[in-house]
Amino acid sequence: MFEFLFLVFTFPLLGFLTLAIGRQRISENAAAYIGVGSVGLSALLTAIIGWQFYHQPAGFSYTQELWTWMSVGDFSPRFALRLDQLSMLMMCVICGVGFFIHLFASWYMRGDEAYPRFFAYMNLFVTAMLFLVLGDNLLFLYFGWEGVGLASYLLIGFWYQDAANGAAARKSFIITRVGDTFMAIGLFIIFHGLGTLNIQDAMSLAPQKWAEGGTMVTAAALLLLGGAVGKSAQLPLQTWLPDAMAGPTPVSALIHAATMVTAGVYLIARTHVLFELSPFALDTVGWIGGITLLLAGFTALTQTDIKKILAYSTMSQIGYMFLALGAGAYQPAVFHLMTHAFFKALLFLSAGSVILACHHEQDIFKMGGLRKKIPFTFWVFLIGSLGLVAFPLTSGFFSKDKILFEAWAYGHHAFYWMGLGGAFLTGLYTFRLIFIAFFGESRATHDAHAHDDHGHGGEITQPKGGDHTLPLAVLAVAALFGGWIHIPLDAVLPQPAISEAAEHVEYSMMAASVGVSFLGIFLAWFFFLKNPALAAGIKQSAIGQLLFRWWRAAFGFDWLYDLLFVKPYLFIVRLIRRDVADQAIGLLPRLTLAFNSLFSNTQTGQLRWYAGMTAAGAVVVIAAVILI
Amino acid sequence: MNLGSAHLTALTPMLLVSATIVIVMLAIAFKRRHRGNATLAVFGLNLALLTSLGMLYIGHEAITVTPLFVVDGYALFYTALILVATLATATLSYAYLEGFKGEREEMYLLLCLSALGGVTLACAQHFASLFIGLELLSVPLYAMIAYPVKSRRPLEGGLKYLVLSAVASAFMLFGIALMYSQVGSLLFLDVGAYFAGSASPIAVVGGAMLLIGLAFKLSLVPFHMWTPDVYEGAPAPVANYLATASKVAVFAVLTRYFVEAGGYYQISLVKVLSWLAFLSIILGNVLAVRQNNVKRMLAYSSIAHFGYCMVALIAGGPLAVEAVGAYLLTYVVTSLGTFGVVTLTSSPMGERDADAIYDYRGLFWRRPYLASILTAMLLSLAGIPLTAGFIGKFYAITAGVDAHLWWLLGALVVGSAIGLYYYLRLMVSLFLRDPSNRQFNAPLDWAQRTGGIMTLLAMLLMLAIGIYPQPFIHLLQLASLTLPG
Repeated sequence: MFEFLFLVFTFPLLGFLTLAIGRQRISENAAAYIGVGSVGLSALLTAIIGWQFYHQPAGFSYTQELWTWMSVGDFSPRFALRLDQLSMLMMCVICGVGFFIHLFASWYMRGDEAYPRFFAYMNLFVTAMLFLVLGDNLLFLYFGWEGVGLASYLLIGFWYQDAANGAAARKSFIITRVGDTFMAIGLFIIFHGLGTLNIQDAMSLAPQKWAEGGTMVTAAALLLLGGAVGKSAQLPLQTWLPDAMAGPTPVSALIHAATMVTAGVYLIARTHVLFELSPFALDTVGWIGGITLLLAGFTALTQTDIKKILAYSTMSQIGYMFLALGAGAYQPAVFHLMTHAFFKALLFLSAGSVILACHHEQDIFKMGGLRKKIPFTFWVFLIGSLGLVAFPLTSGFFSKDKILFEAWAYGHHAFYWMGLGGAFLTGLYTFRLIFIAFFGESRATHDAHAHDDHGHGGEITQPKGGDHTLPLAVLAVAALFGGWIHIPLDAVLPQPAISEAAEHVEYSMMAASVGVSFLGIFLAWFFFLKNPALAAGIKQSAIGQLLFRWWRAAFGFDWLYDLLFVKPYLFIVRLIRRDVADQAIGLLPRLTLAFNSLFSNTQTGQLRWYAGMTAAGAVVVIAAVILI
Repeated sequence: MNLGSAHLTALTPMLLVSATIVIVMLAIAFKRRHRGNATLAVFGLNLALLTSLGMLYIGHEAITVTPLFVVDGYALFYTALILVATLATATLSYAYLEGFKGEREEMYLLLCLSALGGVTLACAQHFASLFIGLELLSVPLYAMIAYPVKSRRPLEGGLKYLVLSAVASAFMLFGIALMYSQVGSLLFLDVGAYFAGSASPIAVVGGAMLLIGLAFKLSLVPFHMWTPDVYEGAPAPVANYLATASKVAVFAVLTRYFVEAGGYYQISLVKVLSWLAFLSIILGNVLAVRQNNVKRMLAYSSIAHFGYCMVALIAGGPLAVEAVGAYLLTYVVTSLGTFGVVTLTSSPMGERDADAIYDYRGLFWRRPYLASILTAMLLSLAGIPLTAGFIGKFYAITAGVDAHLWWLLGALVVGSAIGLYYYLRLMVSLFLRDPSNRQFNAPLDWAQRTGGIMTLLAMLLMLAIGIYPQPFIHLLQLASLTLPG
């Protein structure tokens, strides 16, 4: 079956082409069948391949060479796919979770006039994401990397009639492009230093050619990290993710929670050899993750938009993964990537269900009491939240616990404390959301938009239908029990030995992290359900006001970047509008135009002139041949 | 000289084209039917094409048929390329001539005659066959350009081409005579042997005059004057033929002449030729910049493109022949697509062709696929990666870098930059708002017609070459020439 590996991304590619070419001629139902079906076929194939893969001996990998693009000198990039434990896992997440999100989207997007276009973009995204994880060389990976960036841009700006969505799409595109530029330079350095972009070759060559802690390897690793933080919305390139919530909710679930934003984690895990050669770069990864995790946690506490809370929570959870990578705990990082894909996709999809049930209301302070009105959605949202706060025995519990434990065991105590603080914040902001939106009295005000596209009228009722309920149910099961899935990664990612002394503290650590989570949940209950007045009072105090505003603005990074980059840039642009460099560059067009008008005059259209010129030219040519 | 069966077999493509000419002529005399006559011509040409490709793949060893012709991989490759361009022209003409009031059938006859001239040039290794081939290629073209004889502009274009071609032919014939007076032979190889030693100035002047004739056909500056007027006047499918088959055939014989007849030994000639290439690249691009007529713009752009291709030839060395082949192959495929769209938009023939940029305004909103094809083709003309044009330009630049032709490469880069401007200019207008007073529209079912299928195929081929060039490079390597001695 492995020889059919290429079909996994061919199905969505065909789906994309069909939908892109057919456009509005394709009916809504046909578009749903094509869009969801293509990913479904990929998921089925992935399941078969996966089943075979896990019956192979450990460390098995399969490379499928498609073709060589062109060969120039030593540079002969080939289109080849590589299937190993890491790409197998990523493929499962992309196709498995992706399929259920597509299914949900077919319900969510009903009635949208650009329904086929939506699925065309979604399929394009899946294709590019599969390219990214299956590519066996960094060039191919980069191709997928840019492809997912493009699909993300198209989907964030999907409702382009609203100018704000277009601006959000541009923002995310440009900021991730900053990271991509770093990454491209990193690839140049790798090619320059190692002479290959093939991942396996490069990773085995790197320790031979580059000394540990050398400048080149540090530069390469840091530049790759630049790409990773851009894609994964980590400090300092994190500002685009909240804006990306302008896209339809299934997009947020697929791209901005489950798959694309974790590409940075994948990249670092793939090239971990480089990071191990440069302890400084590896430390930087951990610190970036830890700080992002805390900052995003604080910000999530102050948001009122349900999707933005989840966006900051995603940022924070990816911070966990970076922290784990930085601590050398690669396997828990990838494990958390998988469980996070389950519960965060579930959270986003059920948020989508909430939003549609509330007639496109996203402000949690205008919800309230939803527990009774939409019980099914409430329960799946709760399950997702339990996964998020690492409630014992849910999926998130296993992965987060492993991260914290290994961070401690490998001696990164600072990372451990940051992670623990993050666990507390996670409990707090998650249950703040639940208690405000699902409990208490209804604060809904339905006057202006009493009727929406789904014809539910003004009442909030539980959305129904298999295409709505099935994905939520399946993902809820995955979010609950996903932690029991054992994924072997030993052949791809190293697992440093853990000292016996450290093993003794494992259970007390588990207790500690569960304890802080519960403390967070308890405080959320106390402040937001039991004594809302107290919370309001703290918020009203001078310090509270200051912190609230600071956190709410996500620590002012947008403002800071505006001040540091946008304004000086615009200022310089205004300053050098008519500078010398411009004049010099402007010379070429002006010269061209001058020549153009000069020589256009020679095209008189008169035959005698043409013949004369031909003869004159001949005389010059003959003279030149004789004279030189 | 005995002609054995091996010789006749080697000549099969040429004989098939000749037979097609006779059959089409008889068929027209017997009964005029547009569809029937066109089908006959296309069938015969296809047969010839398949034979030549088959012979190329089987790996034909070079066979000299009389002193005039040689059939080797090189000749077969260019035969195939010329026949592909001719076939494309035939299918495009069929859609186009539907709107023509006069007799339509002779177009195919003229086309086959001209193609025979092209095939002759591809096999020529002797000045006599060179001259005959060139005239056989050109004379039918005069009639083809002026085919709508009652319209002013085609007639004007045809006459201009006729007169100026005569001037060029006179130069060439005189040049050949001068060379013969010194060498005493008309065979390329003998001439090459002569130039390897010390050549008399008379022979050198003869070589220069021959070059003037060929440069005229390739419309290198300063012999380019006719190009825009003739392209503009010619019916769109004929302009397509002029830009592809006719120029490729001339370039093919020029390359063989250079390699076998010692062109590279004539240092001064190579120098002059590099000036011509430099001027062609710069002037061709500069003149295209403000051109509002698409056919004229493509004429100027073809001047520039043959300047690029000349860079590959001038570079010499082991890569030159392959680079020239790659450039011509990609240029032909791209041009077929570009002119295909122009022809389809102008079809069926009306008062004038759709040749103003304004006519293409908003084409994307009316015929999205056609406009997409044109966009892809223009990108390929501009040499954007993943299109065929990139591969061709890449080859030309590689050959130029190997030979350290820095001035020419500088011109190539500047020229490409200017080129991008006017290609984009046309591209942008495809996507502008659709004007209400549109005059031109390809027939709605264009894709189901032969011309449309051809255009689609050209685009697919263009993308295939751009994305996966290896098989085509293999083909080019079959079509190599070996330097004598």
